[in-house]
Amino acid sequence: MTGKNPARSVALAAVAGIGLAVWVFPVIWGLLTSFKTERDVLAYPPVWFFKPTLDNYKEVLFGASSIVPNLWSSLVVSTLATFFTMLFAVPAAYALARLKYPGKRASGFYVLATQMLPPVGLIIPYYLALQKIGGLDTYSGLTLIYLTFSLPFAIWLMVSYFEDLPFEMEEAALLDRAGRLRALWYVILPQVRGGIAVTTIFVFLNAWNEFMFAVVLGGNRVRPVTVAMFNFISVEQTQWAKVAAGAMLAMLPVILIGIFAQRHIVKGLTVGAVKGGGRR
Amino acid sequence: MSGTKPERSPQLSLLAQERRFALLLFVPALLVLLLTTTVPLVYLGWNSLHKLDLSMPWLSGFTGLGNYAKMGSDPRFWNSLVLTGIYTGTTVVLQVVIGLSLALLVLQIPKGQGILRVAAILPIVLAPVVVGLFWRTLVLAPDFGLVDLVTRSLGLGSHNWLGDPQLALLSVIAIHTWQWTPFAFLVLLATLATLPPDVYEAARLDRAGAWQRFWHITLPLIRPAVVMVVILRMMTALSAFAAIFAATGGGPGSATEILNLYAYRTSFTELNLGYGASLAMVLLSITLAISYLMFRLRRVRA
Repeated sequence: MTGKNPARSVALAAVAGIGLAVWVFPVIWGLLTSFKTERDVLAYPPVWFFKPTLDNYKEVLFGASSIVPNLWSSLVVSTLATFFTMLFAVPAAYALARLKYPGKRASGFYVLATQMLPPVGLIIPYYLALQKIGGLDTYSGLTLIYLTFSLPFAIWLMVSYFEDLPFEMEEAALLDRAGRLRALWYVILPQVRGGIAVTTIFVFLNAWNEFMFAVVLGGNRVRPVTVAMFNFISVEQTQWAKVAAGAMLAMLPVILIGIFAQRHIVKGLTVGAVKGGGRR
Repeated sequence: MSGTKPERSPQLSLLAQERRFALLLFVPALLVLLLTTTVPLVYLGWNSLHKLDLSMPWLSGFTGLGNYAKMGSDPRFWNSLVLTGIYTGTTVVLQVVIGLSLALLVLQIPKGQGILRVAAILPIVLAPVVVGLFWRTLVLAPDFGLVDLVTRSLGLGSHNWLGDPQLALLSVIAIHTWQWTPFAFLVLLATLATLPPDVYEAARLDRAGAWQRFWHITLPLIRPAVVMVVILRMMTALSAFAAIFAATGGGPGSATEILNLYAYRTSFTELNLGYGASLAMVLLSITLAISYLMFRLRRVRA
């Protein structure tokens, strides 16, 4: 289609290349930094070739302020939040997408509105309430507040997957005199496996990356890894190579998920936005 | 069907059955949402009517609209409001303009779209707090950051990108735009890819120029997706927190303190939760008002 002008193709490729470099470069630079000594980090001009060291990773994993307990905190709270989110979101999304019931439109809008809430508006009442009942620095407190952003999101994402299914499927299942719940479980849900997987990934990523709730409602016991990034930053001295190593370890799972589930993530982003654009 | 009550209109009972089933599935999630979002917001509203300063607990008590009245003469509040407007406006416009331009360009590249998509995923999946820290150290730090290296080699000198009040605002806007432009890019690229090619053929026969084609054909077709991107990006910008917190902490002074950060700092740094709650109520109202307006706009024009 555009083969006639080689100069134009080169220019296009150049622009795309710059875009690519700008997005990838800070991450690669972070990766390089995590293998530098603290001295090399501060060198000017920045050094490209240096003797790589694993000391930062050793320190971050086994040193005095190891982030291993923090990785564990993140894993526990993200898993709990993802489990409960999916438990409530999948049935609700099915009802919203496929069934008729009174107040359906209003309830759909309500879910949408809860997705728009600014987190700072929630963190204040949660802090006050959890403080009264001794719920600060607990997994249950953090899991509960994570539901506030993941549940509305998961419901709407799952709605878009349920809406893609043909109606005949339910009719067939119902004529079969299978109960509605059985039909949902054995016939419908297997059809939206992909959607459930993508939604689970999204919810987990968002929980893993969360920071504001974690920094306020967490503490010494429950301290997700996003908060632990600050372990190596202090007023006197910041150990940037350690920060970079910690960040690489903390972000390794999400980067891997991002790369391998790339196609699905794009679909997840677009399904909600593109389809949502046509509807309602 | 050989059910027990075949005579009574089966249609109706089927409908009633469906309704019961739907409620059974939806009500649990509804209850969770009410309990985790709406009840806390009522509590937030109630607290915004109180003086509640954990550093001076003995002064606590009901103050009616006192906190809201205080905002009128609080320069830091007005400053944060202006910054919120600048921050949200510039980041959203930049994301959509850059994202859309890049998507239009990339669409014409026959090969290598896959690599670009993977690259675009990278900023999106990173935790904003990590993004803020990365930029603060590796990119924007004076003396050893990458941006500083570039400006120095261009003879523009070394700058304190996060320490100088004006540059700091620019820097946090750049960070936010860096992280979220890929979202606009990916969504718009996918939307553009679904457009029927025959519209373009017709336009080409009409000798419409590239710009005209974009303005009169492409843009109206992708309009719903653009509006959706704008809504979602605005919500993210209005509640931006972790990246700014990590990069500047809202400073220097209050140079990058958008309303969201001001509400946070008031509540959890200065421990004035009553006033913080009222600031959060203002942000909440702004957010809901904007999303309501945008949805109206979309329904009317789309």
